[in-house]
Amino acid sequence: MNAEVIIWLLRLAGLMCTGLIVANFVAAPRLGYARNLAGSENLVRQIFYVHCAYIVFLIASLAALCLGWPELLLADGMGRVVSGFFAVFWGSRVVVQLTYYDKIERRKESFWDVFFLLVFLTMAVIFAAAALTDQ
Amino acid sequence: MKDLLNYGLMFAGFGLTLLVIASLWIPKVLGWKEKLKDLSPLMKELWWTYSFYVWASNCFFAILALGFRDWFLSGRPSAAAMAGFICFWWSVRIYLQFFGFDFDEVDDTRANRIAKLMLTLLFLYLMIFFAIILWWNLGGAP
Repeated sequence: MNAEVIIWLLRLAGLMCTGLIVANFVAAPRLGYARNLAGSENLVRQIFYVHCAYIVFLIASLAALCLGWPELLLADGMGRVVSGFFAVFWGSRVVVQLTYYDKIERRKESFWDVFFLLVFLTMAVIFAAAALTDQ
Repeated sequence: MKDLLNYGLMFAGFGLTLLVIASLWIPKVLGWKEKLKDLSPLMKELWWTYSFYVWASNCFFAILALGFRDWFLSGRPSAAAMAGFICFWWSVRIYLQFFGFDFDEVDDTRANRIAKLMLTLLFLYLMIFFAIILWWNLGGAP
């Protein structure tokens, strides 16, 4: 695959990341984060929200990189390393969803379950391609 | 100066490696399993998933600091971007350490106080050191 195609695919991954950020904000009220955490200790609640925020920040930074400077992910050895990290990141997210998340809960939201699986899988493939493509 | 920064990166990498290893004990020390038992299964899964990905990001920073020191000191825009990203990551963590987290619920033992002090010093070092690396890559090099 040539670099130009990979750059367009990385831009597509950037759009997907943007969608995931929006989805995170939709998920909070839909899955009842606040209600579920209401009875927990302060520190438990804080750690959950902090981890959530760090993940959103990480994905937002990746979205900015993919949409604004995708060529940096192909520019040198480091670009490949970062791409490789995100290939593993999204690939492992597919594994987590398939093997760790509760099957009954997933069946309740089967459309979104399949949708997000496809999004994570697509991003894993795009970043793997960016990491492995010869420049 | 470059040699000094090289050693600084190595120190940051070792610090991050220790943090990543020590993090494996945090759930036990803070009794997460017990404290999470009232959460719904989905919330528990989200909790552990988010925790794992934050931990994995710290692993990645450790790998970068230990294995890619030449790149971090290369003066490239990509190195500046990564240094800025890591600096911001730890700046937020330092803010939370002093003004965000409610540590009243953590047992006030000597071991916990030492661990908290060591972590605070490490976060401060990472924040300041990656700010210096950012400055270096933005043309601060003599």
